[in-house]
Amino acid sequence: MRSPVLRSEDNLRRAVHFRPSAEGPGDADHPLTRALEMSRIRLVKAGAMFVIAFLVISLRLIDVTVLETNDSHLNPLAVAKPLEYSRADIVDRNGKVLATTLRTQSLFADARVITDPQGTATALARILPDTNETELAARLKSGKGFIWLHRHLTPDVVDAVNELGIPGLDFQPEEQRVYPQGPLTAHVVGYSDLDNHGLAGIERAFDAGLAAHAEPLQLSVDVRLQAIVKEEVQKAIYDFSAIGGTGIIMNCHTGEILAMVSLPDFDPNDMSNIVPATIFNRSTLGVYEMGSVFKIFNTALALENKKATLDSFFDVVHPIHIGRFTIHDYEPQSHPITVAQIFMLSSNIGSAKMALESGGAAQEAFLGSLGLLRPAVIELPEVAAPHYPNPWHDISTMTVAFGHGISVSPLQTLIAANAIVNHGVMVPATLVKRADGYQPAGTRVISEETSFQLRRLLRLVVTDGTGKNADVPGYLVGGKTGTAEKVTGHGYAKKALLSSFIGVYPINNPEYITLVSVDEPHGTKKSYGFATAGWTAAPATQRIIARMAPLLDQMPITETADIHNAYTVDFPGKGKKIAAD
Amino acid sequence: MSLGFGNRQRELGWRDKLAAINWGLVTLLTVIAAIGCSVLYSAANGHGDPWANASMVRFGVGLVLMFAVALVDLRVWYRLAYPIYGVGLVLLFLVDLRGVRGLGAQRWLELGPVSLQPSELMKIGLVIVLAHYFHGRTLEQAGKPLHLIVPTLLVLVPAALVLKQPDLGTAMMLGLGAISLFFLAGVRLWMFALGGLGMAAMVPIAWRFLRPYQKNRLLTFLNPENDNLGAGYHIMQSEIALGSGGMWGKGFLQGTQSHLDFLPEKQTDFIFTMFAEEFGMAGGLMLLALYAMVLAYGFAIALRCRNQFGRLLGLGVVCNFFFYVFINIAMVMGLLPVVGVPLPLISYGGTAMLTLMFGFGLLLSVSIHRDTIIGHRGALEP
Repeated sequence: MRSPVLRSEDNLRRAVHFRPSAEGPGDADHPLTRALEMSRIRLVKAGAMFVIAFLVISLRLIDVTVLETNDSHLNPLAVAKPLEYSRADIVDRNGKVLATTLRTQSLFADARVITDPQGTATALARILPDTNETELAARLKSGKGFIWLHRHLTPDVVDAVNELGIPGLDFQPEEQRVYPQGPLTAHVVGYSDLDNHGLAGIERAFDAGLAAHAEPLQLSVDVRLQAIVKEEVQKAIYDFSAIGGTGIIMNCHTGEILAMVSLPDFDPNDMSNIVPATIFNRSTLGVYEMGSVFKIFNTALALENKKATLDSFFDVVHPIHIGRFTIHDYEPQSHPITVAQIFMLSSNIGSAKMALESGGAAQEAFLGSLGLLRPAVIELPEVAAPHYPNPWHDISTMTVAFGHGISVSPLQTLIAANAIVNHGVMVPATLVKRADGYQPAGTRVISEETSFQLRRLLRLVVTDGTGKNADVPGYLVGGKTGTAEKVTGHGYAKKALLSSFIGVYPINNPEYITLVSVDEPHGTKKSYGFATAGWTAAPATQRIIARMAPLLDQMPITETADIHNAYTVDFPGKGKKIAAD
Repeated sequence: MSLGFGNRQRELGWRDKLAAINWGLVTLLTVIAAIGCSVLYSAANGHGDPWANASMVRFGVGLVLMFAVALVDLRVWYRLAYPIYGVGLVLLFLVDLRGVRGLGAQRWLELGPVSLQPSELMKIGLVIVLAHYFHGRTLEQAGKPLHLIVPTLLVLVPAALVLKQPDLGTAMMLGLGAISLFFLAGVRLWMFALGGLGMAAMVPIAWRFLRPYQKNRLLTFLNPENDNLGAGYHIMQSEIALGSGGMWGKGFLQGTQSHLDFLPEKQTDFIFTMFAEEFGMAGGLMLLALYAMVLAYGFAIALRCRNQFGRLLGLGVVCNFFFYVFINIAMVMGLLPVVGVPLPLISYGGTAMLTLMFGFGLLLSVSIHRDTIIGHRGALEP
């Protein structure tokens, strides 16, 4: 038998104020009282936690709904107020308008005033684009005080509605975002919604600033170069029946992006008829295995670590077997070749062996210092994180050497390659125009000497190697091809390629660096069936440089004997170095 | 003998019970469910199909279930605690062996014509069984580590099975519900600290067992802009939609972000966004206030209950409800990573609705039988 106290109350934790215990509240030392006290404190604490949690979400709700936006023109009750400001324009580096705001009229109805909803609907359906008479009639019969009938009407439609003279119809002046360049800068500039909130690209990244300021936002891009890149990449896509492509031009010293094209593209003026895949920005949001372009980084690592010189030999005769993988070359060699030849002929076996000299840890650290293991830093919200090996095994070290087993965005590849050719100094990329003459400080990632050796190799690829089709007389183009087999469901697809070319000119003191990628090109008769970068992306780069250099007032350079000798690389079997002129 | 404490231990007739039902709580639940149906109506662009009508029917069925559960004597539920838990556990094992895979996870069990999500049943089973366990312990005992071995196992076994399905969200809900019951039952705070340290030590190990999509969600939470087209897209679109709602909202059926299908999962996990876009901050706060009132009712019911079983059962139901509301709303506003937790009474989903109504039935039963005395071995004592 238990004690009477416990019998009358089997709930030890019951709060005392609901039913005072038999002993009264004064007996502080009684275990039961202490138990009750503790239990009550627990309950109070739990209750307090509930309250705090609800306060947090309430405050957050107020924050996201009201504080983060200025929504005066969203609220039908406030629509009568004239708009106080317009969203700022976006212009290119020469002041050409890329995005602007037009005043338009939007039609609304007060259904309480409209006497003949059916007749009004019939009349309106004839005038307003994309409307349905039945639906209009139903809405006009609703008796609501405010109904949007059509947003952003053209002046002639406004006139026609006024002609009807129906009371209860009225116009609300509104603003509409217009992109005069249409698809040309779509992925960079982005787009905004019906209520002028930026949803993508610069429009989203600078949403608050654009909404608050009147002066235009000047971007670093040049629509003329944008048009050239688009035309030439489009031509490559067309010629080789590819599914898409990318083209980027960057100023080597300032990091300004002069052009950034992703194809297929879309018209931001007509967001209702969009194929969703076209919105995808391949330059920044797509991550790809870039293939042999990565040999730029691999060779720079070996030279920087003094694991090799341009004249070091590597045995590339036999394919490397590791586990169930085999690394082989497209042009097998019957004898050891030098680092310069490995780069020129784009030997995978040689690159893999070079990478093992430095080791995986050094490789990972080096690629990290080039910004290839984190998302690219650029003023766009659409930036993807790279995929890289984890853990970083020896097999990864070998495949990463020639750009497989690691996926990065084209933009970050370009930024990293620029660090290699720009005297070893990495500069941050930007889409916003820098002040005239301003050059960002940048960070040194390799020595001046390694950068010089790499520039020699890049020139060698264009004069004697896989990139011959990229040469433009007088502009000393250097570059590197990369033809990657795309990953499909299971392993690599032999037929689905991503062919890329990094181009840089003039090679003795680089001014501009370009990247062109063609997605899934197919060989043609003209290219002798080849769909590799040398036949697809390299000629596109050649055409881009040939057209952009005169536009930017760059005079052709005379290749003096000094330059020629400095940027010519010897290797066994090539014969004597011959000076120009 | 069973009426040994005749002065209070009066057996209630079903009329008394019906009269004793907490009608305020029932009204509140109905109001929230009605809001839910209208939001679902709006989500379907002003159509009852496919969601609003079905949800209304489910709520009706749920109400019947709730009353039925409420009228059953609390002592019966006390005795059924381990059987219910046991059945839930067996079903979880069955799901593991022969469950149906849906959306990449193995969560459903086909039993003849009925398909069942045992992890939902387990949410109830776990609360009942823990309330039962701690009912039989004094506060002194609850504070001792040895007495915590059994309840810890009672939690870990089903949580591990659910995690294996894999269903991180539900496993987490089971864990959180259990932890709050431990706390309210008087488990010492240093035990929680120890448990927390243990969990922290487990994190690196657990990370290796997470599915890639789960890792991705956590990483995306830390940096949503990384992945605009994937998991981060939900949160970004959700915040855009909330922001466009403003103070008073765009009006019923007028939410452009959700109607233009920018907002994913608008009828289930992201329904609060849809609601707040159309009814703005004011509507959102009102809904929060309704939820807070439900919690207050539940808290009061639990406090007034004289037996420890009923009190812990009530608090368990309330805590679970709280976690649902809090996690869902915090998630759509970007305060927590995206986990599949629905918004109670509003999100579209049958099993969750029935589980919830079952839970509220238990809460009402606690309310009706608040003066019932439950001996340590069930109704047969004192």
